[in-house]
Amino acid sequence: MTHLLNIENLHLEFDTYDGLVKVLAGVDLSMRRGDVLGLVGETGCGKSMTALSVPRLIPMPPGRITAGRVQFNGEDILNKSESDMEAFRARHLGMIFQDPVTNLNPLFTIREQLVDAVLYQRAQGKKVPGRWRGFAPSARQLRKDAHERAVELMRLTGIPDGDRRIYDYPHQFSGGMRQRVLIAMALAGDPDLLIADEPTTALDVTIQAQILRLIRSLVSQLGLTVLLITHNLGVVARSCERVAVMYAGRVIEEAPVRELFRNPKHPYTRGLIAAVPQKEVTRGGLEGIPGMIPNLIDPPGGCRFHPRCQHTMAVCRQTVPTPVPVGEQHTTACYLYEAEG
Amino acid sequence: MNIRFYILRRVALIIPTLIGLSILTFAIARIVPGDPVGLAAGPRATEEIKEALRREFGLDQPLPVQYVDYISGLFQGDWGQSLYTRREVLGDLRTFWPATLELTTAAVIIATLLGVPAGVISAMYRNRLPDHVARVLSLFFVSFPSFWLAMIFQTWFARDLGWFPIGKRLPVLVAPPPATTGLFLVDSLVQLDFETFAVSLRHLFIPALVLSFGAFASITRITRASMVEALEKDFVRMERAIGIPYRVIIFKYVLRNALIATITVISLNFGWLMAGAILIETIFDWPGLGLYAVHASLSLDFQPIMGIAVLYGIVFSVVNILTDIVYGILDPRIRYG
Repeated sequence: MTHLLNIENLHLEFDTYDGLVKVLAGVDLSMRRGDVLGLVGETGCGKSMTALSVPRLIPMPPGRITAGRVQFNGEDILNKSESDMEAFRARHLGMIFQDPVTNLNPLFTIREQLVDAVLYQRAQGKKVPGRWRGFAPSARQLRKDAHERAVELMRLTGIPDGDRRIYDYPHQFSGGMRQRVLIAMALAGDPDLLIADEPTTALDVTIQAQILRLIRSLVSQLGLTVLLITHNLGVVARSCERVAVMYAGRVIEEAPVRELFRNPKHPYTRGLIAAVPQKEVTRGGLEGIPGMIPNLIDPPGGCRFHPRCQHTMAVCRQTVPTPVPVGEQHTTACYLYEAEG
Repeated sequence: MNIRFYILRRVALIIPTLIGLSILTFAIARIVPGDPVGLAAGPRATEEIKEALRREFGLDQPLPVQYVDYISGLFQGDWGQSLYTRREVLGDLRTFWPATLELTTAAVIIATLLGVPAGVISAMYRNRLPDHVARVLSLFFVSFPSFWLAMIFQTWFARDLGWFPIGKRLPVLVAPPPATTGLFLVDSLVQLDFETFAVSLRHLFIPALVLSFGAFASITRITRASMVEALEKDFVRMERAIGIPYRVIIFKYVLRNALIATITVISLNFGWLMAGAILIETIFDWPGLGLYAVHASLSLDFQPIMGIAVLYGIVFSVVNILTDIVYGILDPRIRYG
């Protein structure tokens, strides 16, 4: 069975005034059609950059991919021309971002933005008749269909009164409703892959739950493939089937959700799960992982987690561990498990 | 609030603005040293002649009385008369102002048509060749004095190449179109007189082009800056991620965000150009208000000075109101109140 998305050994660097930041150092990640994969890790670990490498929206320069490849349906997308990329994004990808307030254009009605999303995703890189040539009967039919599809998308994403509210501007919507609009825009052309980059982080808790419920119901209704990026393990537990944990530019553990929570292997993952506040624990404060996120200009050699790890061995400082299987569909990149594999 | 009510209120607010402006101008015109009557009457005038002139123009009255007289005249369409030519100020303004209005409007249109695309291209190719070209060009045009460029253009395009006339609004032998607005382009179009239209367009082109350079530069720079800012917005990344072509994002979604700042600069430039057209008018022998204003100021001819100040006050206020209305059209979040 071929992978829908296959990221192999992806290396990404950023030129900054302080020096070369090695943001991604060999990311491996693959998804099959129908997967709902959670990508977790702390701020700065490279999860958003991994996600942005799929639509190729990493600003280059200053960014630079130095090694690795990203394949979609077996096609290498790092070599595509920019115009092919536009068609590719329109045809295969949908993406939602963190802040629904800044991600909608404030000067255009929802209709304008949503209808354009439908038109251009359907056109898949081909020309869409514009305003001036748009009076031909065929073009008018195209726009009428797109409008109907837009209203349908609003219904699908749970926005009440879509046929009326479509004429409103973003500032007339609440944060949660705006995120629904953005989801509707991302789904306009029935994408093969929906990338959700921290879709609930900017929302308050009750709205977070609603948006997660919406994404879950869309997954079951439409059979979506979703890459969900978050730093919130709770979000992963409720929404995903599989989890990949990232640390300092590498995927260090990957497993089905239940397996990961019951049986975390990598010392970092264990620390991460131990750090989730429990209801019962009221005294003694919160658990944490000692140490700091490494400086990625001059990252630690070998396993990048070794300076913070309680089980560091000589080999951890020398070479980078490769992922080894440690259970059913469960892999981790740690020398503690090398022998078992 | 209702937009019609808003416009009415803004128009009504022009009146206090103009009263303030007129008090200032009136005071300044009287405070400056020099004796307008002495200048007007000539070196050999006797004291009696000067006295008669003063009485005729009401200069023997106390200043507040003079001012009230002037203002009440203003509302009745009596804008005073020139000390020298004895012509009605309002009539003079009617004669000269349309020429300046036509020149400045054309310059602002040219500056906008060139400046906005140049700014957009600059922002799209930030720090690459097209950006450098646009920035050097706008620096060039903003640095060179316009009167010098005017003479160079006149020499090249009018004298040497003969593509354009050297000056004036129309050739001596061509009758101006019947004055409805005083703008030759508009008047000739209204009359469907395309020949006169073409001729006056040829006369207008070079002066308007030269006058537009400064505005072109500032419009380019502000458009570039606000485009660059708007391109950094999150929604640009979102639109790209879901497959909307970059071209559409730039020209539809980003440009509108950038235009708000550009509109401000365009309206400011309109005022500056109108007041600053004098050099260009002199070089191209353009019978506009600039020349008239300079003559009036040099000879302390206070009634025309007042008239020009009031007229420009009205123009600035109207342009401001129009700008505010355009803001509202561009940005739905702006509410009038």
